[in-house]
Amino acid sequence: MATDLLLFIGLLFSLSILLSPLSSRIGMPILLLFLGIGMLAGEDGLGGLQFDDFETAFLVGNLALALILLDGGLRTRAASFRVGLRPALGLATIGVLLTAGVTGLAAYWLFELPLTIALLMGAIVSSTDAAAVFSLLQGRGLHLNDRVSATLEIESGSNDPMAIFLTLVLLSLAMNAGDGPVLETLMLFVQQFGLGVVGGWIGGRVLAAIINRVQLVPAFYPLLVAAGGLVVFGGINALGGSGFLAIYLAGVILGNRRIRMLPAVLQMHDGLAWLAQMALFLILGLLATPTELAGVFLPGLAIAAILILVARPVAVLLTLWPFGFHFREQVFIGWVGLRGAVPIVLALFPVMAGVEHAHLLFNIAFCVVLVSLVVQGTTLAPLAHRLKLEVPIGPEPRRRLPLDLPTTGDHELMVFELRGERWAEPLPVAELKLPPGVICSGVFREGELARVEEIAELRAGDLVAVMASPAMLEDLSKVFDTRPRKSPLEDRQFFGEFVLNGDATVGDVELFYGIDISRYEPDKSLSACFRKEHGHPVVGDKLRMGPIKLVAKSVDGDEVTRVGLNLHSPPHPRNKESA
Amino acid sequence: MPTSTLSIESILAPELTLCGVPGTSKKRILETIAERVARFYPELDENQIFNNLVARERLGSTGIGQGIAIPHCRLEDCKRVVGALLTLSEPINFDAIDNEPVDLLFVLLVPQNATSEHLELLSQLAEKFNDRSLCKKLRQCDDSDDLYNLIVSSEQESQ
Repeated sequence: MATDLLLFIGLLFSLSILLSPLSSRIGMPILLLFLGIGMLAGEDGLGGLQFDDFETAFLVGNLALALILLDGGLRTRAASFRVGLRPALGLATIGVLLTAGVTGLAAYWLFELPLTIALLMGAIVSSTDAAAVFSLLQGRGLHLNDRVSATLEIESGSNDPMAIFLTLVLLSLAMNAGDGPVLETLMLFVQQFGLGVVGGWIGGRVLAAIINRVQLVPAFYPLLVAAGGLVVFGGINALGGSGFLAIYLAGVILGNRRIRMLPAVLQMHDGLAWLAQMALFLILGLLATPTELAGVFLPGLAIAAILILVARPVAVLLTLWPFGFHFREQVFIGWVGLRGAVPIVLALFPVMAGVEHAHLLFNIAFCVVLVSLVVQGTTLAPLAHRLKLEVPIGPEPRRRLPLDLPTTGDHELMVFELRGERWAEPLPVAELKLPPGVICSGVFREGELARVEEIAELRAGDLVAVMASPAMLEDLSKVFDTRPRKSPLEDRQFFGEFVLNGDATVGDVELFYGIDISRYEPDKSLSACFRKEHGHPVVGDKLRMGPIKLVAKSVDGDEVTRVGLNLHSPPHPRNKESA
Repeated sequence: MPTSTLSIESILAPELTLCGVPGTSKKRILETIAERVARFYPELDENQIFNNLVARERLGSTGIGQGIAIPHCRLEDCKRVVGALLTLSEPINFDAIDNEPVDLLFVLLVPQNATSEHLELLSQLAEKFNDRSLCKKLRQCDDSDDLYNLIVSSEQESQ
């Protein structure tokens, strides 16, 4: 029996992994694929497997979510807090409340459910999943500007606790079938968040200190991070705080402190997070009964429509208005409230508690996630393109190996593969200009290693290995430009022909380009103009000054240091006539 | 769409097409440019040309990358658009956006009442010098006549 089970599990995972390249080809979230495979293997599918062990699903769900959040935290760069933290916290708290409220009231009105049950449904579907968003965008080679990506990322890491909290509160109200005292509810809120934040912060720091003090076999460091994360998660949950918030925060702290073997930790946790996603969606797919789902498909579609078209956009617009977001950015964030595993896991809570209508809630939550993955998942990449939220990024090295030894600092070994338009013609080695602080370690050609002085020219197909710190990556990616051909987002087209320093003033631009800018005072620096328009500026932000378009090219903190000067932006129709 | 009527031929004189100019520094090259332009167009003031070009560089280098720079500014007594094309015998440090030293320059001086047409021209120049094979040929020229003929004929080819 046990071997049969293992064979079955192995087959399910293998199939999911082997089919995964399909997802980026057809633009569907990979999670949908896992869910589909789970459903196919289940009772109404080809596998015909009877699985309705909600308790096992609940345990796997919690474990998987914890690992996914830990991985998300490890990858969240503290630098992204500059632009993303406050808007994301707004979305994760007030935004979730608004989304849950609007959706819940709509459900109450549509289905004549008891109010608490209807609101419970709203709470269950109220949190978003950014992992799905980012894997989709990266699969397409799209890069969003920092403001949007940081906000979506931090939001999805931090809104699960709010959704879980709302679900627990409404669940306890539904169980008692009475109205809980407001004060107690508020206390519960403070306890969940307070313990979650404090526990995650302390847990992360203690874990970092332990990791940097003990001598272990290298393979144990990533495992220690995972195990320690689960201690934080379980411990804070046991104390009555939000374990999800705590493990996410612990991950953020670990990822931003220089812990030992961080690259290996990140690599293994990437794998662990995928394993968790797969396990989660396969088991949820198994758990669902498609024939039952068909019965609630229309109500599910209605809830999904309200959530996607009304609740989320309203919540986003109301929450983000103070933060200097561009309208296009708000539209995008409003649209990509992708629902992932959290709603389905949350829908298990009422089932476990035995609340009435629990199975209805579960099936509807399942439908909402399906609709969201299909509709939003397939449209978000084209939408990001249409809304012009992409930012060009330089080519990445083919391989990066952080040296991670005490005296190497943050230097890495980077290997660039020379290919694309730039290398159609060989480059004499004498013309190769490496940025300061970068050392070329060697050139690989047809399996042979050569010193760079030994060869006359670099040509397509060569692999160039350099030692450099990540700070040089931007300059290096220009030297070893490996893009296949000019893309529409090519640097010059995106950022313009010339570059101005961020401390140049509006008056300077007026003086040198003979244009009249009444919108800003002449002595204002360009950087200050960007701050005025965009709050915390990010690379890719634009300012129009008469016929000229200025684009933020490099940003250091809230200071725009280099500004692209785009002369070729199509003139305003009005200007055209007068010209 | 009718583009600017300002072709390279109409703004660039053979006398301001200079091949293999020796230059040791960015400042020295801008001085040379100011001097040569003022010698050919006596109505223009050498100091003003130099000062305005340097002031423009202070806002951010006009080195657009890959060894190419397009220094430009407006001039008070300037009645027509003036261009100058230079290749240098030795690449010089120009603080360009990619830190690569510069050995190919196109200078553009426009009248004070510059219009959007001049912005368009500047943009077209940047586009033109984005053509790697053209730049390679320009750098290979041995004398100023070749250089002039090449840049003017490249104009006709592309139209």
